Order: sequence, then structure tokens, then C-alpha cells
Amino acid sequence: MNLFGISINHRTAPVELREALYLTDEQIRNYVQKTKGSLLSEGLVISTCNRTEVYGVPANASFGILEIQNSLINHKLVSNLKPEHFQTFSSGEAIRHLFRVATGIDSLIVGDNQIFKQVKDSFSLADELKFSGFLMKRIFDAAIKTGKRAITETGISEGAVTVSYAAVQLIEKIFSNLNKKSALVIGAGETGEIAAKHLKERGIGKLAITNRTIERAEKLAEKLKAKTIPFENFKENLHEYDIVLSATSSSNYILTKEDIVSSMKKRNYNSCVFMDIAVPRDIEPSAKEINYVFYNDIDSLNIIVQQNLARRREEIPKVEKIIDEEVSSFLKWFSSLEVSPTIKTLRDYFEAIRAEEVEKNKNRFSPQDQEKLDIITKRIINKILHQPTIEIKKLSESGGDPDEVAMQINLIRELFGLENKSNKED
Amino acid sequence: MKTTIDFFNFFLPFMYLCTFGFYFYDFMKGGKKFANSKRLFLFLTLLIHLIYLILRTAEFDHPPITNVFEIFTVLAFAIAFSYFILELVTDIRGTGLFIIIISIIFQVISSFYIQDLWQVKEVLRSHLLGIHVFSALVGYSAITISAVYGLLYLILYKEIKLNKFGLIFDRLPSLEILEKLSFYSAIIGFILLTFAIIIGIIWLPKAFPKFSYADPKLIGTSLVWILYGIGISSKFLGRLQGKKVIILSIIGFVIAIMSTIVTNFLAKSFHSFY
Repeated sequence: MNLFGISINHRTAPVELREALYLTDEQIRNYVQKTKGSLLSEGLVISTCNRTEVYGVPANASFGILEIQNSLINHKLVSNLKPEHFQTFSSGEAIRHLFRVATGIDSLIVGDNQIFKQVKDSFSLADELKFSGFLMKRIFDAAIKTGKRAITETGISEGAVTVSYAAVQLIEKIFSNLNKKSALVIGAGETGEIAAKHLKERGIGKLAITNRTIERAEKLAEKLKAKTIPFENFKENLHEYDIVLSATSSSNYILTKEDIVSSMKKRNYNSCVFMDIAVPRDIEPSAKEINYVFYNDIDSLNIIVQQNLARRREEIPKVEKIIDEEVSSFLKWFSSLEVSPTIKTLRDYFEAIRAEEVEKNKNRFSPQDQEKLDIITKRIINKILHQPTIEIKKLSESGGDPDEVAMQINLIRELFGLENKSNKED
Repeated sequence: MKTTIDFFNFFLPFMYLCTFGFYFYDFMKGGKKFANSKRLFLFLTLLIHLIYLILRTAEFDHPPITNVFEIFTVLAFAIAFSYFILELVTDIRGTGLFIIIISIIFQVISSFYIQDLWQVKEVLRSHLLGIHVFSALVGYSAITISAVYGLLYLILYKEIKLNKFGLIFDRLPSLEILEKLSFYSAIIGFILLTFAIIIGIIWLPKAFPKFSYADPKLIGTSLVWILYGIGISSKFLGRLQGKKVIILSIIGFVIAIMSTIVTNFLAKSFHSFY
């Protein structure tokens, strides 16, 4: 299979280079315009903040990995980018790598489920640009099937692997239905924003945001359809919230144990969750001693993250097994592409010889025997070709290395001069 | 028929153990390998148990409520059946093993000690007694389930407070759900116990010449009833919630068990038939 793949990712290059090589959709369109037809007959470009990859079938047999690599380097003009920053793959290995990417086991965060969507989007873009041909479309189907199998048949994408998401996971272990709960996010910085978004996604009933600079809180609140409360008097309203998530850059505690005791009294000691995801911490840790107060800081949330990551790593062998199965099934299909025309050409070749000889000699037979001659010679040819046909079919069904299968097919073609026959027919 | 009854009697603990095995495996492994088959196995176990109870009733010509070991097998059935309904309604499948183990305990004791009595006191063949005992038993199974969920609530509460994110944290439903399951079971238990007590007060003095209001089971059940009454009304009035209601429910369950032991094994009362 004449398929090549190049990849620059978190294992091969530092973040500065990965960022510099990142291609927006528009840049991918330009790159495809430049290379389609001239360098690659069909292909695929995947670009995320952690990886940029190009897969393709060279337009000319003399083009190889180096040409694809140079095309990307010249397109983006990133200084210090060297060939050693690339991982390169050909034929079956390129397919395997793409499947590893689609299942998330090649990601920086194992089982990252965003990459599956990104791979799908990349294929859609290639399709839109008519960059994906017969082979790429089939690869796309196989990659999507592999990704889906990994998600449904293994636990590779299960559990929270970021602190803000772990906070939400923990909250859901305390409250069953977030629709009926209210949350207050203290701090409208990046961390606060991510956490607030997670809460919104999980369907939180009421969301309020407070920040020292009220304008910032208002901006985030507008984005998330939340309300704002002035930072100066948020403590007075603390008891109204079932979930308090703090992520400010304050160097002192902004909520003391006394504040929380007073709020809990007003709440009649109904359970309340305090998530402190700020460093240094915003909430006095001894608050966890209060009954029905569930207090967690970044360290305790990290325990959940690390446990989930470890569990995902344990799932990698199961995903590898799925990838093995899907790669093997894909290669089997691909080999059958080469095998079927070979069988047909071989049979046509023998049939042509038979027909020619029968035609030449049929006058030596009586009209009654001419029909019998036709039948007998056909039968001989069928018997001669029976075993070779079975053996050639076996090559495709074994699902072995496609390069080896191609070599054996070529040998048969050379032996009977089938290449010339096919070309003549074309 | 007697041979079939004997076979079922010893086959049932095995069926419950297998069902428990499925629930245990899924709980430990966390997969959904037996998610549907464990439910199906529980259903089959319950079906066999129901047939066993019907066969006993037909063969011995009285409902299986005439002695403590017959009551234990009915209790095992009632607990597992209540859980089965709860699982179907809520689709919370991770807590089965904690409930089924209670059914196993009752069924194993029953299977070993149950006796086949053709001759029982005439009063034990009464329909009113059947209703009285049936509502009391289902009521007790509801408070057993309430206590189990209460206990699970306390364990999960502690695990979260101590930042222990192990198997219990992973597999159990949220604290709020456990609290609700415990509370709703307690309400069902309370209603059925109320019903059993009302029938008892109206009918028992007429049926039993030795009837006494100082009967240990009567005192025990009344105590349990009062305790659940206090817990439920306090929760409704918003005076108590969370751990306190749950602890009250567990105490109620312990008193109910103690009352059963005292009545049936230690004290002589009109409530003892064995």
C-alpha cells in the first residue's frame, strides 16, 4: 500500500514547535490546494494544539515521506523545525498510527475524547476539499469504527482527568440532580471559567459568579447566562448556594471556617459542597470538619484525576487489541483489492490461450466433436487454475503484511507476464 | 410434591448465592458485563422462590407464616423482591449485593431449620392473620432495605469526607440518592407496619386468649413504629435530615431485629408459634 504518514506530536517536539506548526482550517485548505494532485493524489491533514499529522498517497511513485515532510515545513516556515521532530509511517504502520490517534491512546492525556471528534472533523474537511479519495474514505470508516469501539468496549475515556472536571464528578457523587441545585463561582479567571462551563454543561439549576472586578464577572455571566453578585457582599448570600467553587488568585483565605459555619446555620445544615481549586487556597481547610460540608482542594481533586488516568492506562492493552483487529481487517480488505484483479487477469490469460488454440485446431475435429473440445479444454483450464486461485485468495484472507502480499502477487504477475496483459487491456 | 419442596428448599440458597456472585462481580469489576444477566438471574431466583412458597402453601394447607423459619424464607423473598422492584424503577444497579446478602442470610437459616408442619393451630390458617403477617413482613423488609441504604450512605459520606476515592466512591450512587432510597423505603415500611399494627390491635385480642399488651414483639414493633414516625415527621418538618434521619432508621432496624430474636427465641409469648 502506497500510503505515508508524518506526525509531529508531544513525544517528538516541544510545545513551541507544535504550536508553531498548528494549522487552522484555512491553512489546511491552502496546504491541500498546494499539494493535491502535485504531491499527493489523496490525503488527510489533522492539526490540533498537540499534534499535526499528514497522511497521503503520493501522486508520483518517486515521491516519499521526505517530500511530504518538506511540503509541510515549507508551507508553515517554522524555524528550528527539523526532520527528527517528525514520526514517519508507511502503509500498515500509518493506518495503525491513525487508529491509535483516533482512540486517544496516543494523546498527551490518555483517552482524550476530544481527539476523536477532531479526527472526524479532519476527515470531513478532507472530504469537503475532495482531498479524500477511495482509499482515504475507507480509512476514515475504519478509523471511526475503531474509535467508537474503543469508547464503547473499554474504559479508555471514562472518568474525569482534569481538576475542574473532577470537581464536577465529585459534586455529582453528593447531589443526584444538578438541575435543582445552585452554584456560586468565586473568581472569573480561566480556571473559574472552565469550572463554571462544566457546571453549566451538567445542567446546574442556578449559576452565579462573583469577582473582585465585577466587569469580568459580568462578561463571563453573560456568556454562560448566569447572574453576578458583588464581591463585597457575596458572603451574606453564601447560604443560598449548594455548591461553592472558588478559583481566585487571592493570597489569603476569602472564606474562613466561621463564614461557612454561619452560612450552614442559615441553611439548616443542608449539605453544601466547597471546591477550592485555587493555588494558594481560598477556603480555610478546617471547614471540612463541619457536618454536611464537603470540602475539597486541588490536592484531593488531583487524587481523582490520577486514579482515573491510571485506570485509563490499564485499558490501553484492550484498545491495542481492538486496533490490531481493525488494522488486520483493513489490510485484509486492502489485499483483496490487489488479489481479485490478479485472479481475473490470470484466468483471462489462460482462457485467451485456450480459445486461441481451440480456434486454430477446431477444423481438425468433426462438427459434433468441436463442442466437446470446447468443454474439455475449459475443464482442463479450470482444473489447472483451481489450486493457484485458492492460494491467491488465501493471501488476501490471511490478513498478513500487505507489502508481503503485494510482493507475492507481483511474483505471480511477473511469472505469467500479467502486468503487460493488464496494461494492454487498459 | 414433598420431594420438589425439599429440592427447592436447598436449591434456593444456591440460587441466591449465584445471584449475589453476579452482583459482586459487577461491583468489583465495574463493568457492565452482567448488567442485564444479573437482573435476569435475580428474577429467576425470585420465580423459583415464589413457586416454592406456593407449593408449601398448597402442600401443608397453610400460608408459610406459622413459625420463624417459614417467616424467614418469606422475609428473604420479600427483601429480594422489593429490591428487584426498586432496581427496575430507579435503574440503580450497583447496590444489589448489599441487599441480596440479607436475603441469603435469612434463606440459609430457613433452609437448614425449616420443618414441615401439616398440623398447625387453627388460628394460623386465618386470612386476617395472613394479611397481618404479610403487611408486617413486607414492612420489615422495607425497613431492612432502608437500613442497608442508610448504612451505605454513612460509609460513602465518610469516604468523601476523608477524600477516599475507592471502590465505594466509584460504584455507589450519590449521597442524595442513597438518602432518598433509605427514606422512601422507611416510609413504605412505616405505612405497612401501621397497617399491620392496626389489624393486630383490632383482631389479635379476639383471636388469642393469651393476648397481652406487654408482649415483647408488640412493644418492640411499637417502639420501631414510634421511632420511624419521629424520623419521618422530623424530616418532613425539616427539623432533621441527612445522617440523623439515617441513624434513626438504622436504630429502628436494630430494635426490630432484637425484638424478633427476643420474641421468637428467648421469651414466651402468644406471638411465638415455634
